[in-house]
Amino acid sequence: MLFTSIQFVVFFIAVLVLNQPLRRWPIAQKAMLVLASYYFYAQWNWHYLFLVWFSTVVDYSIGLRLPHSPKPHRLIALSVIVNLGFLGIFKYANWMISSLNGVSAALGDAMHITPLDVVLPVGISFYTFQSLSYTIDVYRGEMAPRRNFLDYALAVAFFPQLEAGPIVRAREFFAELDGPKLVRLRDVQRALVLIAFGFVKKMVFADSLALVADPVFDNPAGAGFWNTLFAVYAFAFQIYCDFSGYTDIATGCALLLGIRFPQNFNYPYIAQSFQDFWRRWHMTLSRWLRDYLYISLGGNRAGKLRTLANLMITMLLGGLWHGASWTFVIWGGLHGLYLVIERIGLSRWKLWQSPSRAMILVRWAVVFHFVCLAWIFFRAKTFGAAWQVLANLAHGVMHAFANFAPAQHTGLALLFIVLMIVHALNANRRVKDRLGDDRGPAFVVAMTAAILLLVLFTPNHSAPFIYFQF
Amino acid sequence: MRYLKFLLPLLLVVCLDLVFQLGIYEPLASPGSHAGMSISVKSALDAPAFARVDLVTLGSSRPVYGIDHEALTRAAAAHGLVYANLSVPGMHWMSLRVITDWLARQHPEVQGGIIALAVQDFLAPGNGSYELGIAYPFRTFSEIPWMREHVPFDWHDPATYGLYSGLFEYHEDVQDIVAHPQHRRKLLRWFHARAPQQVLQANANETTGLCSAGISKLSDCATMAARDPAVAAKLAPQCRELEGAAKGRYDMRVYLDGREPLTARLAEVSDLVRAQLRGLHWKIPPVIVLMPMHDAWLRDAMPAGAHSWALQVLAPLVADGTIRLLDETDLFNSDAGTDCSAFFDFYHNNVSGRERLMQKIMPALQSDLIGEAAAPVAK
Repeated sequence: MLFTSIQFVVFFIAVLVLNQPLRRWPIAQKAMLVLASYYFYAQWNWHYLFLVWFSTVVDYSIGLRLPHSPKPHRLIALSVIVNLGFLGIFKYANWMISSLNGVSAALGDAMHITPLDVVLPVGISFYTFQSLSYTIDVYRGEMAPRRNFLDYALAVAFFPQLEAGPIVRAREFFAELDGPKLVRLRDVQRALVLIAFGFVKKMVFADSLALVADPVFDNPAGAGFWNTLFAVYAFAFQIYCDFSGYTDIATGCALLLGIRFPQNFNYPYIAQSFQDFWRRWHMTLSRWLRDYLYISLGGNRAGKLRTLANLMITMLLGGLWHGASWTFVIWGGLHGLYLVIERIGLSRWKLWQSPSRAMILVRWAVVFHFVCLAWIFFRAKTFGAAWQVLANLAHGVMHAFANFAPAQHTGLALLFIVLMIVHALNANRRVKDRLGDDRGPAFVVAMTAAILLLVLFTPNHSAPFIYFQF
Repeated sequence: MRYLKFLLPLLLVVCLDLVFQLGIYEPLASPGSHAGMSISVKSALDAPAFARVDLVTLGSSRPVYGIDHEALTRAAAAHGLVYANLSVPGMHWMSLRVITDWLARQHPEVQGGIIALAVQDFLAPGNGSYELGIAYPFRTFSEIPWMREHVPFDWHDPATYGLYSGLFEYHEDVQDIVAHPQHRRKLLRWFHARAPQQVLQANANETTGLCSAGISKLSDCATMAARDPAVAAKLAPQCRELEGAAKGRYDMRVYLDGREPLTARLAEVSDLVRAQLRGLHWKIPPVIVLMPMHDAWLRDAMPAGAHSWALQVLAPLVADGTIRLLDETDLFNSDAGTDCSAFFDFYHNNVSGRERLMQKIMPALQSDLIGEAAAPVAK
């Protein structure tokens, strides 16, 4: 069930209507939310609910036993094996099999492994990470195990976050559950602003930008320099609008149910360093990777070289988390490389760190374009397609001015400039926050504009959220 | 009052939607869209020269190209009558009724006219959601149920949201104006500079022919890729339509000779056509012209017996004098196939086809339509 579908709107209104009177009976309220979440997931494929249930029961049981276990490391290992095992089977097995078959064929070997007949369950990367964070936190003694099974089941399956995050850590979720779940009028206003922004980002901008990016990435061989460049920019904004739009809707829906989610995006394209970018992009994943992978690997406590290696490993695995493909590994690897270069070189270069406006602009431009360069590998279906996109850019750059067709390209160029300016203005003026707290007419004007944008500028063919495939 | 700000955006959007439904956007609509073509007809009818309209032609793109409107204008003017061609590409039964109802309200002086149809028009009650655009500028709120019968509302198809929403009806047009503002500005300037006579009385002249394209039958579609790219670009979509229809071809004759009862859909079409034509209260019975059709449609793609079915639907109306029928479906067909020199594609007649058709039907139109309309004046 897509957030952007009529079915979801009807479903969510029904949940809201049930949620309000049930607030007086927390058990009934949680039970209703758990059942609604399972129903929500079952709309995609009910068979895979068993995976969610299995993961829930295993990690709940392990969590209960961890504090009293004489050998807790065995229990945490079991949790990691079960959760990553599911990911391995459903997400990575066929990729590894096809890679092995490819190597085997290249070596002239006759070995061929038959791929598994499995479908990637929606949201598996998100709910396994959330579930893992719980057992790891209990193992580390950072939180007490949750005795109430309903609470734990809801933390894993809460529908606004189930399919594509944000990755809310169990302890954060329980703090929300235990806190006052009072939904004030101000929360409703904030939630409506988030939901409206989310819908506009996804349905108006992301889906429209896909019409620019998709033809080039699906068939890069015929595209010229400008079309390729605009497709890369279009994808950079498409994926931001798509994923942050999803997050806004999820956060708004959760807020209407009395649960606050952590921030997941903070205007990443105004970042002036790669580290800054990762503090602004998919913040809940970055935090998870930092706390449960980078720090587990030793973080920056084991010498400079080891720190750089840990950074690289974290980003490579972060790339692989997104999808079972070497293109995602390259994407993660590129970001790892950027972070390493930044740490060993750029951060020590005084000119680079200059606070002058010119250098701020240069840093921003360099970071944005290197992020875009990495997006090429993220979006391209194959290495061949990614190289073709890069070749279009490299070969066309010499004749770029000659090939600029004002009638065809000016509009798109202006669109990207406007998008970037709006992005920066939103970041500086905290537009969403201000509209959420507005007591004057700005809220009404903004919501009216959002509805009009949705009605008038939603393309006829809406695409699913990109992060659903992860 | 605390809750008003949550409702106000919705109320504002509803108000704006109503304003769109009342026609505020019409001057900006693309002249090339279905709604735009319909709007051009409506606004041309506002001109003083058309304060009185005596005779009209209604129909889809077939009569736009296939009827000599300039000849009819001259013939009508010779008797002191005013003729207007109100055909809009894509017009079907739903928009036909909405426009004739509008005419009854705004131009009750209309005495009669030509309703140009094709055998195809008797196979389905609707022609797709784009017909909403044609009907939109002419419709009243009370006609929404009628429109919904032909273009059912579908949650999954935003194109049908236009039934209830002016913003949705024009949303693609607004997207286009935002994407290409300069182009629209030029287009509208040209469009508004056109004289109303140009819109309502001029011919659409297409001189190319299917023969020069080397295409004369459905099987020629298979070799489309090897043809001139300009020809292929124009005809390939029609070939796909033809091939799609040919795959689902069935035999209607079992219904015509009573071997099987009529399907509910065909019965609906029959009732609809008869009721609609009987509901026209023109002073002179409308002249139904069944426009010439290409063999590729008649023999290869449409259901066998479709032509007989159309005649069967109209027969009681002819018998009781509700309509006059000029059946020219096979005018350019023979055992050897279709005379490709009369068509510029699989649907439309070119100038040569139009002249030959008019030669055939003009005497009947002179006597049954223009002559009768002029008769009271002559007295």
